[in-house]
Amino acid sequence: MEKEKLKEQAERLYLQGLHAFAGSANPADTESMKRATALWQQAWELYLKAGDKDRAKELKKSLAVLYKKEYLKSHKNKEEQGGIVEKFKDWFIFFKIGCFGFGGPMAVFTLLENELVHEKHILTHRDFLEGAVLGDTLPGPVTMDIVTYTGYKLNKWRGALTSTLAFILPSFVIMLILAMYYDKYSVTPKIADVLKCLGAAVTGLILSVALNLTKSEMKGYRELCILIWAFASSIIFKLDIVVIVGLCGLVGIVIYRDEPKNP
Amino acid sequence: MITTLLKLSWVFLKIGTFTFGGGFVIIPMVENEVVNHYAWLTKTEFLDAVTLGQITPGPIIISATFIGYKACGILGAIVATASVILPSYIMICLATEAIEKFRENKILANFLRGARVAVIGMVFDAGVGIGRNSLVDVKTILIAAASIICLFKYKVNPIWVLLGAGIVGLVCKG
Repeated sequence: MEKEKLKEQAERLYLQGLHAFAGSANPADTESMKRATALWQQAWELYLKAGDKDRAKELKKSLAVLYKKEYLKSHKNKEEQGGIVEKFKDWFIFFKIGCFGFGGPMAVFTLLENELVHEKHILTHRDFLEGAVLGDTLPGPVTMDIVTYTGYKLNKWRGALTSTLAFILPSFVIMLILAMYYDKYSVTPKIADVLKCLGAAVTGLILSVALNLTKSEMKGYRELCILIWAFASSIIFKLDIVVIVGLCGLVGIVIYRDEPKNP
Repeated sequence: MITTLLKLSWVFLKIGTFTFGGGFVIIPMVENEVVNHYAWLTKTEFLDAVTLGQITPGPIIISATFIGYKACGILGAIVATASVILPSYIMICLATEAIEKFRENKILANFLRGARVAVIGMVFDAGVGIGRNSLVDVKTILIAAASIICLFKYKVNPIWVLLGAGIVGLVCKG
């Protein structure tokens, strides 16, 4: 009786494992492979307890295959598939934006927002705005702050390193070439017309992202008040950006203090 | 040469650590150091460096590459660029880590909630600021209007918009 129960349980575990294994159609999916292995391991132990030697033997064979496969896969991942391809993808996003990052921090911010929030759905609007808060309040070039922040969000220190380097590379190379050129002929290239049109496009870009963000973050009249105050104090009173962001943060502490949980 | 590299690195580490705000806020401090103090560049060369910093993509502080190159060749360019980025890299990583850790803290959460909205105001402000400088004639106003429609209504990838605007600028001069 006891043995029958154990057997039944083992069978169930085995089926669950099989399910997890079949679910791992994606070769990079080591998680479900691991789950399948763990389940089959349990099933094997139960079969042994139940005294069903033949079944246990069979299962052990499958287990050996799985272990081997998993080992191979985790190895492969590190070397080619998940490793370089994935990393190259992230690298490429930031490289691309580094090539088109005209028009200051907010322009880069909007490009990144479009790429990571709207196209790839990796980060949220909130993440982005917090990155801008950090970039504005901490010292250092704001553009770099924002890029590093997004990289960190994606993959901790290593992601931050990737994003920073990939982002700076195009402008570094272009600048280096221009510097060598300048050294020889001591003139700067005249591309004022191109820059003028780019500036116009960047204006449109920034305004449209601001509208998008307003749509997603405006939850009530209080947000609207803060937004108008921040905008006015920047454009009319010309307050420093650190002061504005800091003050609005303090206002936030006061006005949201009675709410149980922030959304 | 080694001393120049060390000095370069020191100057740009300082600039990367102690300057708040982006873009032009940093320029006077850089000028003071590299033109007045160390005399790596003349005043005209420095102004050209800033102009080049504007016409290349990426942050304006990429002028550091130019200054580094003038002071000490390619190695100087690499050292200057790396030094100016490094402080904010470290600070941002630490700050992000801290935010993740203390996200449950109510005071910090509310602070961020208020500050997030303020940042939207800053984005509007940046748009108006850039617009004031670049919307000078019918052509540029048309481009700006077209890009708002493309981006906000039709969700075109902004990189195409930028590329298109650059091509328009190349084709119709004046």
